[in-house]
Amino acid sequence: MPYFTLPDLGEGLQEAEIVEWHVNEGDSVKVDDLLLSVETAKAIVDIPSPRDGIIGSLFVRNGDLIHTGEPLLAFAGDEGTGSQTVVGNLESQDDSDNQDHFVIGAVTEGHHFGGATPAIRALAQHLGVNLEQLRGSGPNGSITFEDVQQNANLKHSHGDSTPLKGVARSMAKTMASAGQQVVPVSLFDQTSIRHWAAHTDITLRLIQAIVAGCQAEPALNAWFDGNTLSMRVVEKIDLGIAVDTPDGLFVPVLRDVGNRKPDDLREGLDRLRHDVRNRKIPAKELQGATLTLSNFGTLGGRFATPVVVPPQVAIVGAGKRFIQPGINNGALFEDVQLPLSLTFDHRALNGGQAARFLAALLADLSAPPM
Amino acid sequence: MHNAQQRPQHALPLNLVEAINRALFQAMSDDHRVVLLGEDIATNGGVFRATEGLKAHFGFRRVMDTPLAENLIAGLSVGMASQGLKPVAEIQFMGFIYAALEQLISHAARLRHRTRGRLSCPLVIRAPFGGGIHAPEHHSESTEALFAHVPGLRVVIPSSPARAYGLLRAAISCPDPVLFLEPKRLYRLQRLPVDLDDVPLPLDRCFTLRPGEDITLVSWGAMIHETLAAADHLAQAGIKAEVIDVATLNPLDRDTLVASVSKTGRAVIVHEAPFTGGFGAEIAATLASDALMQLRAPVTRVTGYDTPMPYFAMEREYMPSVERIVEAAKQQMEY
Amino acid sequence: MFMPEPYQIHQRLDALADCPHWQRLTEGYRNMQLIRTFDKKAVNLQRTGQLGTYASCLGAEAIATAGGMALAREDYFVPYYRDHATQYLRGVPLYQILQYWGGDERGNAFPADTPASRDLPNCVPIATQLPQAAGIATKAKLTHEHAAVLATCGDGATSRGDFYETLNVAGVWQLPLVVMVNNNQWAISVPGQLQTASRSIAHKAEAAGIEGIRVDGNDLPALLEVLDYALDKARHGKGATLVEAISYRLSDHTTADDASRYRKASELHTAWQHEPIARLRQALVNARQWDAEQETLWQQHCRDVVDDAVKTYLEHPPQMPADMLDHLYATLPASLGRQRQTLSRQQGDPHA
Repeated sequence: MPYFTLPDLGEGLQEAEIVEWHVNEGDSVKVDDLLLSVETAKAIVDIPSPRDGIIGSLFVRNGDLIHTGEPLLAFAGDEGTGSQTVVGNLESQDDSDNQDHFVIGAVTEGHHFGGATPAIRALAQHLGVNLEQLRGSGPNGSITFEDVQQNANLKHSHGDSTPLKGVARSMAKTMASAGQQVVPVSLFDQTSIRHWAAHTDITLRLIQAIVAGCQAEPALNAWFDGNTLSMRVVEKIDLGIAVDTPDGLFVPVLRDVGNRKPDDLREGLDRLRHDVRNRKIPAKELQGATLTLSNFGTLGGRFATPVVVPPQVAIVGAGKRFIQPGINNGALFEDVQLPLSLTFDHRALNGGQAARFLAALLADLSAPPM
Repeated sequence: MHNAQQRPQHALPLNLVEAINRALFQAMSDDHRVVLLGEDIATNGGVFRATEGLKAHFGFRRVMDTPLAENLIAGLSVGMASQGLKPVAEIQFMGFIYAALEQLISHAARLRHRTRGRLSCPLVIRAPFGGGIHAPEHHSESTEALFAHVPGLRVVIPSSPARAYGLLRAAISCPDPVLFLEPKRLYRLQRLPVDLDDVPLPLDRCFTLRPGEDITLVSWGAMIHETLAAADHLAQAGIKAEVIDVATLNPLDRDTLVASVSKTGRAVIVHEAPFTGGFGAEIAATLASDALMQLRAPVTRVTGYDTPMPYFAMEREYMPSVERIVEAAKQQMEY
Repeated sequence: MFMPEPYQIHQRLDALADCPHWQRLTEGYRNMQLIRTFDKKAVNLQRTGQLGTYASCLGAEAIATAGGMALAREDYFVPYYRDHATQYLRGVPLYQILQYWGGDERGNAFPADTPASRDLPNCVPIATQLPQAAGIATKAKLTHEHAAVLATCGDGATSRGDFYETLNVAGVWQLPLVVMVNNNQWAISVPGQLQTASRSIAHKAEAAGIEGIRVDGNDLPALLEVLDYALDKARHGKGATLVEAISYRLSDHTTADDASRYRKASELHTAWQHEPIARLRQALVNARQWDAEQETLWQQHCRDVVDDAVKTYLEHPPQMPADMLDHLYATLPASLGRQRQTLSRQQGDPHA
């Protein structure tokens, strides 16, 4: 052993306490030089060096308890004792890495892959089938040959299926979730806007009409919690404005529409649209709507049943204005009608509230031009 | 140099053979039934000094030099163990253990079983094994697969000083017979911290030495050294390899191996022993049956060739190298 | 030393007048008769498909009985596979001996409160029990027990390395070991002349530096004298002894053997003239220690005891398949759980 161990101090004494080291690591010593003093049950014993050498590592400190045979220190240069073998050469190397960490058993914070044998994976790859999109019908939900084959056939006859990503994926999730919670009822009506001036800012008028509706029925501007069955009627109207883009549907929020001037509203609207189109809209601008307007009429269609997205309780849909004959005192005239749809969540609101809101909204739209 | 002030109270930097020595010392101090026997182990302290100083401390009655007869050493151990002693016998090299096969397979492994528990055989046979030290023929054997096939006999192989200490202490306390194979190439390779107060390690679990997500490298014994080096190389190439030390071949901790490969989907098994019938085959079969659904690539084995260990002039060509392991791993990443 | 002339074959039956231990010899006679009755029954059970391959001890009754009677409770016994008498005398019930040959491991679970509780079970790989016996003797010596180890084997075993290695270590470590060789002249079909060129088996003790004694294996009083001496010598730390007991294997090697293929009927007939039970009976009758009436009663008693043992053996419920795994390790490792479940399902195991 390259260590100097506590010698047998005799008289059956097995342990001793380190009283004081008389050398330090790095010191050069000669045989019989005093190394340290230890205290046994009987006496304090001085321990001399068994050899010449340089002190390498000290293994115990003053005050430690040590037993006969346990290492006290190592002399420097005792590493690499490859000569101590009857056959062969035993190498030793410097401690490049002083660590030896290990865990009993497995380390399993990683994710698991889906279940498919290598043969099936190979087939899927060959047929261009994406395994992650399949639902397996085999044991423990694993994917079978038939699953892969069917999917490949489908692809061949009906074309590729691509997973939804980004905005489209988000919309699919949101609508699915809404559909599972909301109890939707829709009211439809239309009103004449023949008296509007040309180049009337329709969206602004719709926003004003909505404000009027909320004044008549504040409950439509609220948040409903389906779990706790509680309603929070909000005073500030943060209106979600549905914006259609090549990337999909966005609904940025125009804040506090009830207290802003028309010019301010128009500017805010434009800025939102601009940011959405350029995909620069920050996430928080898409959150927190208390009511939503979907002016789908810019694209087409009259009436619709737009989807209420919790925690909101209502959504207003404006369709494309259309021409229909009107009668005034028995005389025909060309009338322009604006179709309107209101969907509300019947968990939170009743028909009366919805009808009064809609009536107020229509009344505001039919009011004389600004 | 190690700074004594920073080390925990009872952790010592020890190399593998020193750890073995400490484990024997500790076991013999704790339990008077533990006795050592073997050739050259008493006065000489063992040809690798594994039993150095033990006869001086515990006396000739507990540290016995036997006549030269491996079969006898094993038979004596069976007899002593059957009557309540805890013999720890040394077979000087694994190359000489074959004479003891009969006592180990026909008797040690079976005694509890065939007496329905009336008698048992809590012996430990220690033997240095494996190559890479430029030794004469027969001194570099790696035939652990022969023993792993024997029900009732535990086969335990440490790969670091700390695990050597913990596993040997466990083996000596274990009420079952244990074959403890010591990778001699690692005997003096490195000094690493060994906590002398640590609880003994389990004798039926693998150890995860390094976590990873991309591929699992499985090995034991001295090849752990190359396997860890291969993992380092792979890390530089952006491949995170998990390294598992099997440690106990029998009973085999299949759960850990399956859990790891279920996570990574890829496995390379590394052992020195020849390819055919090597213990890697058992692990590969386990993965094929229990982790098939998660495999992304075939399970491959990097091993010694199907030849007896060549004389040392060609030892290097025979032993699996870091390059071979890295190559095998990279191939798997292509799937 | 035991004999003034080493390696002379020790005998006593022809000169029993001085021997005072009639009670012991009568007891020995009764034991031998019981075992012979058992042995005949066991062969019949095998021939009727109720026992597996069985090694008869016909002709070896004196050797095994002497062993069983000379051993003290605290001694150890290490058999080969023809020592049914010794096992019985050490406390192994006859039905348990049948269980072993009937392929049931419970036959080796000797009762805890008997001298046999620490004995090794039968050993099939020839001579491998001998180094183990040396190990047990080492343990007895290390723990300062006043005890000896008796190990038996056949003449074939003395050719094996285990035999020589055992004698060698027994000599150099001065172990409390007695190795008794039942030299019944046959190792299956190989006669003694083809087994070794050694002048006798006892002479092999020379190579190990221990005492070798030859004794007539058909002579119970002679055997008792030799074993008393050797075991006592061992218990007192005076070292090991090799005992060669010369007998004749009156049966086939096992029930799977047909000795008529390799030995002459006339030789067998001659051997029967020296068989141990008839010889001892004659000596007891001559000394008026035994008579016809006692013989009849004892024979009936033997039949009753054996029939009882057979009944117990045959009526014993079988083991559960999962028992295969339950005694493999002290605690079954988790990795074997699945196999145990499969085994349990195989026979509706309530332990499943």
